[in-house]
Amino acid sequence: MELLQAFVVSLQAVWADSGFSAFTMGNGIMILVGLVLLYMAIVKEFEPLLLGPIAFGCILANFPRTGFFTEPGLMQAIHYGIANEIFPPLIFLGIGAMTDFGPLLARPATLLLGAAAQIGVFVALVGAMMLGFTVQEAGAIGIIGGADGPTAIYLSIQMAPHLLGAIAVAAYSYMSLVPLIQPPVMKLLTTQREREVTMEQLRPVTKFERVCFPIVAAIIISLLLPPIASLLGCLMLGNLFRESGVMDRLSDTAQNSLCNIVTIFLATGTGMTMNADDFLQPATLLIIGLGLVAFIAGTAGGVLFGKIMCRVSGWKINPLIGSAGVSAVPMAARVSQVVGMKAKPGNYLLMHAMGPNVAGVIGTAVAAGTMLAMLK
Amino acid sequence: MSHPVTTNPLIIMLINMTVVFLVLIALGVVINLIHYIDPTKPKAVPEETAPSAPEPVAEPEPVTAAPVEDGISPEVVAVIAAAVASMGCAGTVKAIRPLERNNWKNSGRSAIQSWS
Repeated sequence: MELLQAFVVSLQAVWADSGFSAFTMGNGIMILVGLVLLYMAIVKEFEPLLLGPIAFGCILANFPRTGFFTEPGLMQAIHYGIANEIFPPLIFLGIGAMTDFGPLLARPATLLLGAAAQIGVFVALVGAMMLGFTVQEAGAIGIIGGADGPTAIYLSIQMAPHLLGAIAVAAYSYMSLVPLIQPPVMKLLTTQREREVTMEQLRPVTKFERVCFPIVAAIIISLLLPPIASLLGCLMLGNLFRESGVMDRLSDTAQNSLCNIVTIFLATGTGMTMNADDFLQPATLLIIGLGLVAFIAGTAGGVLFGKIMCRVSGWKINPLIGSAGVSAVPMAARVSQVVGMKAKPGNYLLMHAMGPNVAGVIGTAVAAGTMLAMLK
Repeated sequence: MSHPVTTNPLIIMLINMTVVFLVLIALGVVINLIHYIDPTKPKAVPEETAPSAPEPVAEPEPVTAAPVEDGISPEVVAVIAAAVASMGCAGTVKAIRPLERNNWKNSGRSAIQSWS
C-alpha cells in the first residue's frame, strides 16, 4: 500500500513539474501560430531561412516552465544578444559584404528614391499614433515600412521591446510578400509610357570609388547619427571587406558562415519573444495591418518620386525603380525588373533598381537613427 | 527612457523625412566628390582627335590555322573563336589547349556540389 502511495505521489510531483500542468489556452494558440508560420516557411517558401527559425522559436517560447529567460544557458545568451543589440549589426556586417554599391555609385541620384520610399515608415507612424499607440511604439511599428528586418528589430528593442515579436513577424512576412504587394501599386501609379522608359547603361565604377565609399559613408553617418553607428558601421565594414580585394577571407566569413550563424540566433531569439502574454493582444492585429499600410505607402512614395525624376531627367529614369527604395534587398529590385519586363520585353531594370534598393537600406537606418535621437 | 522631443506625428514625419533626404543628398555629394577626385578614372577621349579615316581592320587569320591539340575538332575551335570575338577581343586565336585535368580536384568539386 505504501509503495502504491509513493508511486502516486511521485507521479503527481512529475505532473506538477511538467509543462502540461501550467499549459494555457494562450500557449496552445501560439504553438498553432508557430505551426502555421512553419507551414508558410517550409511549404510556401516565404522567407524560409528567417521565418523557419522564428516559427520554431515561437513554439519553444510557449512551453511553460522551461526557464529559458531566467536561468543561464543558450536561450538566455541568445536573448542577451537580441536585447543588447548585438545580432542586428552582425547581420548588417554580412549584408554589407554581400551588397554591391556599384549601381548606386554609378547613379547617385537614385539615393533620392531610397529616401522618398521612407515615407511609408512615417505614414504608418502617424496611423499607429491615431490608433492609440505611444510615440515610441508608433516609431517601432512604422519601421516595418522600411522593409529591413535587422533595422526593425534594432529599433523595436530600443523603443518597444514588448512589440518585438509582432513587428518582426509582420516585417519578414511582408518582405516575403513584396512580389504580391508592390506590382498593383506600381501599375496603378504609372502610365504605360512611363513603364516603358529604357534607362541608359550605368557607367563603370572604379575600385577607388568602391573602396572610398564605405569608409567615407561610415564616417559621415556615424558622426551625424551616433545611435545607428554600430548598424551602419558594420554595414560599411562588411562592404569594405568585399571591395578592398585583400580581405577575401573576412568577406567570405561575413557573408556566409557568420551571417548564417547570426541569422539562426537572431531569428530563433525573435521567435522566442512571441509568448502568449505579449503576442495575443489586439495590438498584434493592428501592427500587422499597419505594416501593410507602411509597405504600400513606401512603394507609392518611391514610385511617385520616380515619376518626378522621370520628368526632370527628360524621360531617362523609369519610375518603376522607385518602388525598390523600400529596401527588401534584392526582392524589391527584382519586382521592378519583372514589372518593367512585362511592360516592355527586353527592358532590363534590375541593375538600375539596385541603386535605390541599397539606398533604401541606408535610408531606413537613417530614419531609425533619427527616430532614436528624437523619440527615445 | 528620456522624453521625446515632440509627440506630434506630422512634425515627426516632417523632421524625419527632411533628415533622411538631407543625409542621402549629402551621401550623393560625397559619391560625386569621390568620383571627381578619383585618380584612377579613365581619361575622357579629347574630341579634337577625331578620326580622319578609319584604319583598315586586319583580317583575322582563319581559325582553322590555329595549332590545336589532338581531340579538339575544327567546329569546337570555330565556336571558341566566335565566343572570344563576341566578347570584344580582337586578335587571332594562337592556340587552344585544354586545362590541366586533376582528378582529385574534380572529385572534390563533385563532392561539394552534391552537398549543396
